[in-house]
Amino acid sequence: MTLKNIAVCINQVPDTASGIEVVHGNPDIGYLNKVLNPYDEYAIEEAVRLKERLGEVMVTAFSVGDKKHYDVLRKALSMGADRACLVDGGRRDDSRSVAASLDKAIRFHYDGFPDLVVCGRESSDCNRAQVPLMLAEMLGVAAVAAVTELMYEDGVLRVWREIEGGMEEYVLYPPALISAEKGLNIPRKTNIKAVMKARKEPILHIDGSVEIASGVAYRGFSTIRRQKNCRIMETAEDLVRILHEERRIL
Amino acid sequence: MSFLVILEQRQGTVKKASVDVWCTVQHLAEVLGETDVCGLVMGGADKNIIRERCAGKGTIYMVNDAVFHDYCPECYAGTIVDMAGRTAAENIFFANTAMAKDLAPRIAMRLDAALASDCVIGVDGNGSLKAVTTMYAGTVSAVIENLRKSAVYTVAPRLCSFEARRENTVEILEIKAECLSGCNPALKEISYHKGRKDIAESDILVAGGRGVGSRENFALLESLAMSLGGAVGASRSAVDEGWRPHSEQIGQTGRSVAPKLYIACGISGAPQHLAGIAGAETVVAINRDRDAPIFKVADYGIIGDITEVVPLLERAVCEFQRMK
Repeated sequence: MTLKNIAVCINQVPDTASGIEVVHGNPDIGYLNKVLNPYDEYAIEEAVRLKERLGEVMVTAFSVGDKKHYDVLRKALSMGADRACLVDGGRRDDSRSVAASLDKAIRFHYDGFPDLVVCGRESSDCNRAQVPLMLAEMLGVAAVAAVTELMYEDGVLRVWREIEGGMEEYVLYPPALISAEKGLNIPRKTNIKAVMKARKEPILHIDGSVEIASGVAYRGFSTIRRQKNCRIMETAEDLVRILHEERRIL
Repeated sequence: MSFLVILEQRQGTVKKASVDVWCTVQHLAEVLGETDVCGLVMGGADKNIIRERCAGKGTIYMVNDAVFHDYCPECYAGTIVDMAGRTAAENIFFANTAMAKDLAPRIAMRLDAALASDCVIGVDGNGSLKAVTTMYAGTVSAVIENLRKSAVYTVAPRLCSFEARRENTVEILEIKAECLSGCNPALKEISYHKGRKDIAESDILVAGGRGVGSRENFALLESLAMSLGGAVGASRSAVDEGWRPHSEQIGQTGRSVAPKLYIACGISGAPQHLAGIAGAETVVAINRDRDAPIFKVADYGIIGDITEVVPLLERAVCEFQRMK
């Protein structure tokens, strides 16, 4: 068995390089640049590398959102994805709902399952890392989260992931899902020619509307102010003494 | 009400992060009242040590079976779902480890439960369980409201500061669980870094950032960590420079830690990094730049170059230990 179809699930996130304030009870993110979620770049890159190595592989990118997500879908195309699907009509504020929209769109698009689904480990705005495994549960496929190395041979996927103090190696049989962790690869830089070509490609639309009750609600947003009173010590000896006397350390 | 705490076993030992969660949940149960606490250990571990570390009230179930020694997503998920049914647990707690991140969404889906990821748990003003998480690179906090009957929590690392209860009536019961053959995915091999303490298991961390200057200069931090009996961590910049492995990266994009003492060497203090050390008890910052943001979250600081201050600090530590 060979890999024929790879689905890549991608998201658009606000660039969180700078601090975010809470205004009128909600995080003020409207003014921030929107970018492709960094972990999804690893996902796209890995799918495209598999395609380049194996040939005859169709890589399709899916993103739940509105037309503003054209940008990230086109970025996926410029990196080497063959097709891009906007999954519209879905909610984006709840992980379970996003996973259900992706599940619906993927089943519809393939009339079944792709051989492999690749997601980013998490989105860099909320850092919950929930969608990939929820989607795997809905699709009913084997899954491993936060993969840092992947090998495919003769219908078998071998993946490695970091755990506290070590590494785990898994064997998976497709259809399967993995989520990509930093270190899986170094995403390519796109060139102007690829970007121009991607601009002309059509974006497919798939209905992703689902009736799913949210599991959780997020409320009481507030800006985190971390502030301690730092005492500057003159010498290392003073510091060691104070740590012992005041903190009972050492 | 019933709480279930998943106590992660690795190499025959329950992880420190899980023990901290158990201790916090014991305290919550006492404040909330009328709450049973259960624990689940998959794989064999020394019962006396578990009883000593996981003190309080309740029952800890243990699947003392060699096939459960290492993590298997399907078998672990199946056993937890069974146990949640058996103990009628409304709330299931994990320490937020690599295993929990892989397992918690599966459990939440199978139990149709809410999922609260990377949160700090406590009790609110009305005497109910409260979970708070962060988002946007650790700059915004939010309260997580559970909209389901039951919920799965992955708990951010925090030292448990509550005094252990005086009486320890924890009971450990061995149970049988089924391990399915031909699991997909199947764990093939697991390798542990030898002779190196993991950053999450260490009470003292010496971490370095770009200000350390080079891969070679990290030897100074290694040496200081050794004299303190601690481990070495790194900021994202130091990992991106290739000076340290990704497994040592501390911060929102790496790992969160909660040591008793955190010594930040040449780390300026990006919001993502500060989010990762929010659970640290005492923070010491060593930096050339007296305006570096790290000093805002530090308890003590020394202004100076890493290559000068770190060896002096090591010497002072050794001197102090010799005098003691």
